[in-house]
Amino acid sequence: MTFDRNEIAGIADEYVLGLLEPAEAAEIEAEMERDAELKAAIAASRDRFLPLDAGVEPATVDETLWRKIEAALPAQQAAAPLPSANDNLKDGWRLTALSALAATLLLAIGLGWSLMRVVEPVVIAVLINDAGEAQAVVEDFGNETATVRLLHDFDVPADKTIQVWTLPSREMGPMSLGLVDRVRSVRLHGPTLPAPRSEQLYEITLEQQGGSPTGRPTGPILAKGFAKPAH
Amino acid sequence: MLMSSRPDELDVALTACASGDRAALRLIFDREAGRLVAIAERIVRRRELAEEVVQEAFIRIWTHAHQYAPERGSARGWIYAIVRNRAINMLRDGRREHTVEEVETLRETEQADEIMAAWHRLDRESRLRDCLGALDETKRHGILMAYVGGYSHGEIAGRLRIPLGTAKSWIRRGLSALRECMA
Repeated sequence: MTFDRNEIAGIADEYVLGLLEPAEAAEIEAEMERDAELKAAIAASRDRFLPLDAGVEPATVDETLWRKIEAALPAQQAAAPLPSANDNLKDGWRLTALSALAATLLLAIGLGWSLMRVVEPVVIAVLINDAGEAQAVVEDFGNETATVRLLHDFDVPADKTIQVWTLPSREMGPMSLGLVDRVRSVRLHGPTLPAPRSEQLYEITLEQQGGSPTGRPTGPILAKGFAKPAH
Repeated sequence: MLMSSRPDELDVALTACASGDRAALRLIFDREAGRLVAIAERIVRRRELAEEVVQEAFIRIWTHAHQYAPERGSARGWIYAIVRNRAINMLRDGRREHTVEEVETLRETEQADEIMAAWHRLDRESRLRDCLGALDETKRHGILMAYVGGYSHGEIAGRLRIPLGTAKSWIRRGLSALRECMA
């Protein structure tokens, strides 16, 4: 398929909309691997139209579909990942985990308060932002209560709130521990969850007032970190 | 209501998929499968075919995750494109024609509603919503029928009752106006 250089954006749009003949579409797919301008035009076009898909009402999907997918997955050619008891995204999180560990140690020294309580938390997680700065500390007592202490003044718009989440297991998915409304430190009374484990993921996100409407995190992540045993 | 999942997470998940982490694929499934089935169903119009599309798409996401890079656009756009392409290929292979005619007629109206709903559901602040709104109705309709419903030029021409050549050039001009508006 030959096309004018100044038709690239138009061809990219027609490809993304699915309007090209199958043979043309296949050629475009091959061509984009060697033509950076075409690749960029397709990327831009996809992201331009994405909101039409992102706003769709989700269908209810059951476990059968996942089982079919999982049963058909071939092994990756790359080396297998290191075995780990942790369900979270190991590779992507590793750096976060290491910085969180360092931050935990610093805070454990700096914030002796958390170690001198009568009731000890089961785990402590230091939540850090993308820049690696500690933003909040979550102490999970494992009896439906957790405390969160913000270490940073978040700029929370009037119609938003900060919501605290944890990921007890990937089967359960992220569970809300509660909301932090314009205070620096709060005791949360969350749902009954399995006992918090070492390496369990905690995070805070910015959600609409009253908390996420879906029961799952929807807003931007302000900070996240992995739990360490408190004692 | 913000319906998006967190894009940075999908990005990380794709990288983890490339290194063989099934939990990462599961995370993508948990976050997106509901929407992906709905998107595929708007195109293939039957739930069981839509699930088939999503199933095949997830295998492809897994086997091609190593190809994803930020210069290909957002991770989400990349994942959605795989599902859209699978759905459109299934259509062009003629699977939609197997639908019983009566069911087809019934779902046709339903689908026309779905297509317009996709536009109406766009965030009020959204540039895409405004720019689509600025197009004249036939062009807007043609573009939405193609993107949301997976219609071909011929199907669009038939449904809008205009000649094929006219449909092609209107859509082309509509797309060009849309790019200019969103630039």
